[in-house]
Amino acid sequence: MIELSTIDYAIIAIYFGLLFIIGYFVKGKIHNLTDYFLAGRRLTLPIFVVTLVSTWYGGLLGVGELSFNYGIVNWVTQGVFWYLSYLFFAFFLAKKIRKSNLFTVPDQLERFYDKKSRFVGAIFNFIMVTPAPYIFSIGLVFGILFGLPVWIGVIFASVVIVFYTIRGGFIADIYTDFLQFFLMMLGVALIIPFAISTYGGFDFLTSNLPETHFTFTGTWTTQLILVWGFIAFWTLVDPNFYQRCYATKDSKIPKKGILISIGFWILFDICTTFTGIYAAAASNAGLLVVESPTTAYLSIAGSVLPPVLLGIFLTGLIATIMSTADSFTFLGAMNLSHDIYKKTFRPKASEEKEMLATKIGIIITATFAAILAIFFDSIVAMWYTIGTVGISALLVPILAGFFYKGRKSSLAALLSMLIGSSVSIIWLVHGYMNLDEWGWPTYMYGIEPLYPGLIASFIVFVIVTAIYVRRMK
Amino acid sequence: MDITYLLVLDAAALIIATVVLSYFFIRDVLKRNNQ
Repeated sequence: MIELSTIDYAIIAIYFGLLFIIGYFVKGKIHNLTDYFLAGRRLTLPIFVVTLVSTWYGGLLGVGELSFNYGIVNWVTQGVFWYLSYLFFAFFLAKKIRKSNLFTVPDQLERFYDKKSRFVGAIFNFIMVTPAPYIFSIGLVFGILFGLPVWIGVIFASVVIVFYTIRGGFIADIYTDFLQFFLMMLGVALIIPFAISTYGGFDFLTSNLPETHFTFTGTWTTQLILVWGFIAFWTLVDPNFYQRCYATKDSKIPKKGILISIGFWILFDICTTFTGIYAAAASNAGLLVVESPTTAYLSIAGSVLPPVLLGIFLTGLIATIMSTADSFTFLGAMNLSHDIYKKTFRPKASEEKEMLATKIGIIITATFAAILAIFFDSIVAMWYTIGTVGISALLVPILAGFFYKGRKSSLAALLSMLIGSSVSIIWLVHGYMNLDEWGWPTYMYGIEPLYPGLIASFIVFVIVTAIYVRRMK
Repeated sequence: MDITYLLVLDAAALIIATVVLSYFFIRDVLKRNNQ
């Protein structure tokens, strides 16, 4: 637990109060399903950037954990690889997605293949957008700030998110994103000058940490670094990116918006990485007590920031996580209502019924995530598992849908999703059943599960498509 | 150039960019609500 003054508690309380107020007042702006799902497809460039930047960045505690333990390699694996992936998305996908005028990622699967592919894709998509890692993070933060058990924070965060997303849909998401965007940027930027003035400049870091904290590979194997490079492909099938592209006013905004967002992410990532490194150096120098690498940011903030600024930083940290958790919850609900309820089982359901199904979906998604959050105990492990399974299933059929111009086989898409994900799940389970002396999973042949998953998915897709094309001839 | 100086510059740039984008966000939301 860190010491907070009354004003810091007040700032956090005001933030949560504002979320409730936004949720309460925004309801009147919903007139139809497109308003509820995509804010009426009227996002301008600044609105697009604000909502994308704040939503995308939710894993602050995970990033803290990695930069504290390993240094600059965090920036490579959680920054650089992702920038490349965003660039690919901006130049080759953004415009196509907007022009398709759809609602979700599984919508694309039906456009390319068939209803069954949409259904299976929707299940994987639902797994990918579980807000569990983020809700878990809120539980951890509440534990540190208020001395509460993790599950109380988990339930509190779930209830707040459920309240305003049910009432305001994507519009509430955008308004709360703005508040969260402002707080997260300010909070993260503030801590760097205070860390420098408390502990010293770059020399303080180099004299208290091993050299590996300042190299691009750290103590990691090339294979592990590269696997994060592949996990960055997540962007290419990420429902948040798709939803925001669908919601823009015109088809030029997504590309421009992603390029501006990359600028924000670069500035932000440098701050977060160095904050973690400062925490590690101060801890090694005996100047800071860090209970766990996951909560390193909280410890350093409590040590270097004065009251008020500490409140702003902590609220920014909570906001960073909340902005992602709410969007993921809403997208999970859209999967359940739009892709599964409406498109698979009730094609004639009215807009009102689909909206009601989405609201029920929000409660189901948040409950599922809360249970998962209480079950796992590492944010990074959660990301890794979800990312591995989701990407193994979706990447090949989605990219093939956009870029393969020949005849498309629905069976190829379906089998590639099922076999790709099964292979990665078998690999993951085997690894977790064989932990090494430090408690890390040992995977078959020393190969990370994403590789065999993606390779299997690709091979199955190519073979089945080839057979299909030959038969059609 | 000293890395410490670059870090401060990075944080300052982030704050300035945030303020500028926030201005445009509020402008567009007000316009949207008045339509």
